[in-house]
Formats: sequence, C-alpha cells, structure tokens
Amino acid sequence: MERVIAGFIADLRVSGIRVSPGESLDAVQALGLCGMSSRKATRQLLRLTLVKNVNDIPVFNEVFNRYFNRFQFIDPGSNLPELMDAAVTEMEGEFNYLNQQQGDDHDQQGPLLKLDSEINPEDLQELKSLTEIDPDDSDGNEIVVQMKGYRGKAKGPRPTRRYTQNPLTIELNKSNATQSGITFTPEEQIAMQDVVARMMLRLRKDMKRMQNNQHRGKLHVIRTIQKNYRHDMVPFQVALRRKRRQKPRLVVLCDVSFSVSHAARFMLLLLHTLHQQMLDVRSFIFNREVAEITEMLANMPLNDLMETIDTGDIIDLDENSSYGQVLLTFKKKYLENLRGRPAFIILGDARNNYGEANDWVLDEIREKSRYMLWLTPEERETWMRGDCLMEIYGSYCDKVEVVKTVEDLSLVVEDLLRDIYADHAHPIDKKRIIEAKAAEVYDSKDYYTRGTSGSTEFQFDPDARSHW
Amino acid sequence: MISEQGVKDLLNTSGYIADDAIATAVFLALHMEKPILIEGPPGVGKTGLAKALSAALDFPLVRLQCYEGIDEGKALYDWEYGKQLLYTQLLRTQLDTYLSVSADLREAVERLSAEESLFFSKNFLVQRPILRSFLSEKRSLLLIDEIDRSDDEFEALLLECLSDFQVSIPELGVIEAKRKPLTILTSNGTRMISDALRRRCLYLYIGYPELEREVAIVRKKFPEICETLARQMVEFLRKARELNLRKPPSVSETLDWAQVLSILTVTQLTPEVVANTVGVIAKHQTDLQKVTELAVQELS
Repeated sequence: MERVIAGFIADLRVSGIRVSPGESLDAVQALGLCGMSSRKATRQLLRLTLVKNVNDIPVFNEVFNRYFNRFQFIDPGSNLPELMDAAVTEMEGEFNYLNQQQGDDHDQQGPLLKLDSEINPEDLQELKSLTEIDPDDSDGNEIVVQMKGYRGKAKGPRPTRRYTQNPLTIELNKSNATQSGITFTPEEQIAMQDVVARMMLRLRKDMKRMQNNQHRGKLHVIRTIQKNYRHDMVPFQVALRRKRRQKPRLVVLCDVSFSVSHAARFMLLLLHTLHQQMLDVRSFIFNREVAEITEMLANMPLNDLMETIDTGDIIDLDENSSYGQVLLTFKKKYLENLRGRPAFIILGDARNNYGEANDWVLDEIREKSRYMLWLTPEERETWMRGDCLMEIYGSYCDKVEVVKTVEDLSLVVEDLLRDIYADHAHPIDKKRIIEAKAAEVYDSKDYYTRGTSGSTEFQFDPDARSHW
Repeated sequence: MISEQGVKDLLNTSGYIADDAIATAVFLALHMEKPILIEGPPGVGKTGLAKALSAALDFPLVRLQCYEGIDEGKALYDWEYGKQLLYTQLLRTQLDTYLSVSADLREAVERLSAEESLFFSKNFLVQRPILRSFLSEKRSLLLIDEIDRSDDEFEALLLECLSDFQVSIPELGVIEAKRKPLTILTSNGTRMISDALRRRCLYLYIGYPELEREVAIVRKKFPEICETLARQMVEFLRKARELNLRKPPSVSETLDWAQVLSILTVTQLTPEVVANTVGVIAKHQTDLQKVTELAVQELS
C-alpha cells in the first residue's frame, strides 16, 4: 500500500502540489487508522492529510481520479490479481473499490487523461497545431502593444534591460497570441498574484522596520506609568507616543483605448491584486471620458470588470483617446477631492489624436501630489513622432518609465512604494535609504526627468517640490 | 476508540450536523493527535465545530482569540510581576535574618542568588490559554480562533507548541503537555498562512453545506420550522449566494433567519416576508436590493 501511496504523492508533486515527507507519513498513518472503506472516504482522507491549500483541491481531485483510474483499463476478469500482486501492491485486490465511481460528486468528469493507446490521430493533430504559435517570436517576453504611427514596426521592440527571460512573461505572451478579448485566465491571475507576492516579500522586510520606526515618538508619560505599575513605577518598559499609521496613497489614471489596451489590462490586474494587500488606491480609466473604478475594482470579480469596460458601459471605447480633454475633466471632477498628497501614476501612450494638449492641468495635479509618474509602453525614440505628446507631458512628471512587461511594471511600482514608505520613514532610516539608493548604479537611458542635476533624481522631497 | 460514525453521532447529539469530511478530520485529529486547520468563509460553523466538539466529548474548551499584535505574554505564559514584588516585600524580615548570617556582601549575594529560582518558579507563572490547555489534567480542546489575524511572528511561535505540544520557558525549561489537547485552528483566509504551520496540521476546508445538510441543520436547531419551509428557505438562500453579493448569506444567517421566521410564525415564504426580514440575510445596502429583487423573481 505504501508504494501506491508513494506513487500517488509523486504524481501530486509532478502536478505542482507540495507534499512533504512528514505529510506522506501522516497519510499512511491515517489510512492505517481508518482503513479504506470506500473511494470517497479514501479520497477525503488523503486530501485531509496531503492538501493544505484550497486552491490545490481541484488539482488533487484531478490527480486522484487519474491515478486511481489507471486500474480501470486493465481487464478486470483475468489478470487483475496477478498484475496487482506483481507490480503494484501486496494487498490483493483491495483497490478494486477505488475504481468504482458511484455516488461521487467530484468524479463526474471521469478519467481526465486517456491512456496513450486511446489518443487518436485527430488529437495529435490538435496538439501539433497548438505548438505552432509564433514560431519567430525569439525575444517574445514583451506584452505586445499596438502602436499607432510607430514606423519601426518590423524591428520589434528590444528585450528589456532587466529580467530578460522569465517564465511568467512568456506565459503572458502566449495568451496574448491566442486571445482577443480582455479577460484573464486563472493562470494569469495566479501568475500575477505570484509576481505581487514576490514583490511583497521583497518589500516586507524594509517596510516592517519602517513601520516600527513610525511608532517612535515622544514619551507617553501616562501610558508609561500605567505600564510600569507592576514594577513599582520604575520605568522598565517605556511607552512612546505613536505616530499615525499611514497607508501609502496612490491615484492611477489608466488609458484603456485600443492602442494601449494590453498594458492597461495588466496595470488593472496589478492594481486589483495590490488593492487587496496594502494600498489606498483610487483608480480611474479614461479614453475620451474619465471614470472612477475604485469601488468596482475592490468589489467586482476582475473578469466581470474587464467585460464591463470592454462593452463600453463605463466609458465609450469607440472614441479616440484625448488626453487634453481627459485632463480637463479630471481637474473639474476629481482634483478638488484628492487628499493626502497621493502619488500619481498615469499609464498611457500620450497619443492625443492632435487635440488640445492642456498640459497646464498637469502642473496643478503636480502641486497636489507628492510624486508623479508616467508609464508609457513606447520607446523613447517615438515620443515626438506623430501625435505623441510624451515630451510635453513628460516634462511635468517626476519620472517617465518605459514599461513593457509585467515584471517591469511590478518593479516600477515596487520602486514607487519603496519611495513612498521611505518618505514616511523615520529620519534615520530615511537617510540610510537615500544613501543606499545613491550608491546604486543607475542606468539612466530609460527614463526622463526634468531635474537638471543627476543626483536629485532618485530622492524626492515633497517640501522642496512645492516651491519648485 | 471512537469510530468516524461515532464522531458524527456525537456531534449530532450536541447539535452539530457534520458531513463525512468533517467527521473524518475530527476522527483523525483525535487519534493522530494532530491539530486541524479549518478554513472557509465566515459563518459556516468553524468555531461552532470546536464548541460542539468540546460539549460532545466533554473536553474543557480553552479559547485563544487571535488579533494583530498578540504575543507570547498573551498566548503562552507570563510572569506575575506584582506577586513577585509583593512576596519580596512580605518576606523582607525573613530575608534579613537569612542574609544576616553571611559575613560580607559577597557571601550575601551568593546566598541570595542561590534562592533566585524561587522567584521564577511555577508559583509566579501566569498560565495563558495554550499553556493552560497543556497543563490541564483532563484532555482539553484548544481553539485558536482566527489565526489569520495574528502576525507572522506569532505564527512562528505556535510552531513549537503545535508540533511537539510543549512550551519552552527560558527560566524553567521545557514544559510538556500532560494530555495533548485536541487543537483546532480556524482561519478566514484574510492572510496566507505559512506552509510551515499548514504542514503541521490536518487541513479541512468547510464551504457552504449541501442542500440536504443545510436543511437538516435548520431542522435540528429549530424543530418548529416545518420541512417544506426549511427547504424553501435554504433553496432561496442558495440562489442568493450565487448573486455575487458583497457578503453572501452564510449558515449563521440561515439560522438567524430561521429564528426570525419561527418568531413571526411564518409558514410560507412570500416576497413580502422576504422584504420584511431581508435585514437578517443581507448586510449591505446594495445586497438588500438584490435579495429583494430575487425574492420577487423567485417566489411570486
């Protein structure tokens, strides 16, 4: 029996469920305790001991069916006991019941993988066609972005500086090739959660320390006395006044017009994932109109939201994007109630379709925000071509970044969050962070700042900014 | 030795209707002496299971409610400083005579430090829930509720307790559990719990119950509600759960509603009844509207 279970666990591991040796021992022990009375009970037992995450349960069910259905293809009449004896187990025929699928609600799909002999030529044909997607996609790790007026199309965008090759982006690219609508597959969502989780892990250590330091303050006399009552008022433990804990605030304006739709959808996905974790984000989408989607991002399943955006219920997608118009509307409707000096992120290609630029609005937004970041999917060379106003708009921003992959996006946002936290940090930490940042060798070819001296680019200081 | 069916029946007598997965998990936890980690949406009876088990098995319930910032002083043990101070004050005269024998200061300090362990003995130890359940003479049920609300550090602290059922106190050494308690951890999944903790537990996911089980639960708690009404209620709520509400009605809402309906002596669900009592099942304004609309659609 142990061997069968070990084989099953090996299968689980192949399918991506992490099972530790301790858990396998548990499973065997549990089977010894309960015996194996029915297929359903056995599956429950194995699931209790081997699976430690809700998301893994469907995979487990699938592997369970696949693994224990193998025995079904052996002709049950003649050689079953021999085969079992010889190859599989010493427990003659005890697995018979595992093959029965009665009254078992999770098992309706039946065997999920056919045996090799059952695969017919058509299936193979299908498999072949699946592998033939994008044969020439050599540096295919970018989100493919349609660019109007971009003349060097044939060249294809260059691979990015950092993280040139990683499984996630390849994954994303694959789905881009096959999908037309804007919805996310579960894999994409999981991949994004993975990216965000990794980002959080990197950030967490720094943030914890900074958060602790946020609590440093003056001595809280009454609390200290209260706390040390049991020490006869000798202040062994000191209570300090806390500073207000602050969540970083973000305002995101996201272009959803066709020209940047792919980049936008990943921005939205990133926001959605971040939103649940740690941020105070207000999100807007725009094309010609602006609309706030903060509530929807928080409450709606993401795919539903994407569909709603796609059908044009929130804003009309058939219009051409007009940045000037959008900036004006934004100023009229929302700028007044932007509080707490948020960091401001705009995602878009700044292609204004030859409308009014209205770039003075950015100046006002700039005054209200602590930091302004523009993310564009286009390379620097195309910023002045055609109707692109990137150079003009960019001059108002603290930073303009070229973002092509999800990994890029997460790195940019991570940098931003670090900056925001550093801004809230205790003076001692702040100094240390700034020094650490200055020591970093920075490649400045990908971004553009208005600042004249190179040294001020990495640190931003809201106080200095206001008399700027 | 209780069988799985035995567990089910026992729980049934204390008013908890378990399905096979729950019964198996409890059975295994009892015999393998491993903690159970229960996850699931709020209000499906995670804490209820622990309470029912404690009543059914006659294990005293020791409950530890987790919150942000909980630490070992609140969960494991603490030293009773006040009592220590009081004792030194009261024993002052004794100490004087005890120390007056010594020739010089050095000897006095040595004499005193020889007795130091007196002040860090079990007499001055405050037992917090986990230690209390470990030291209880009878096998107890330790409920660590909403573990996802605590910090990572606290989770790491629990690892020793949950795998070896022991507590290390620097001044006293390792204290082992007299009887290993039946341990239940619950989580609402607001935060991912580390794999290290998951690995030490049996994992049980309790979702919304099947139709038959939910009807049985309603009938069990409120026998005055007739079978048809219970079925109608549960069917309606199951549809409401698919409405994509902000807070989908859970089993606890089903029971609240059943209570309300039995007080109002309702025998048949109508859109009016739902409209009047909708506050029991929906907890947000937008949800209220959706549920009332559903009632008009389904029940008229």
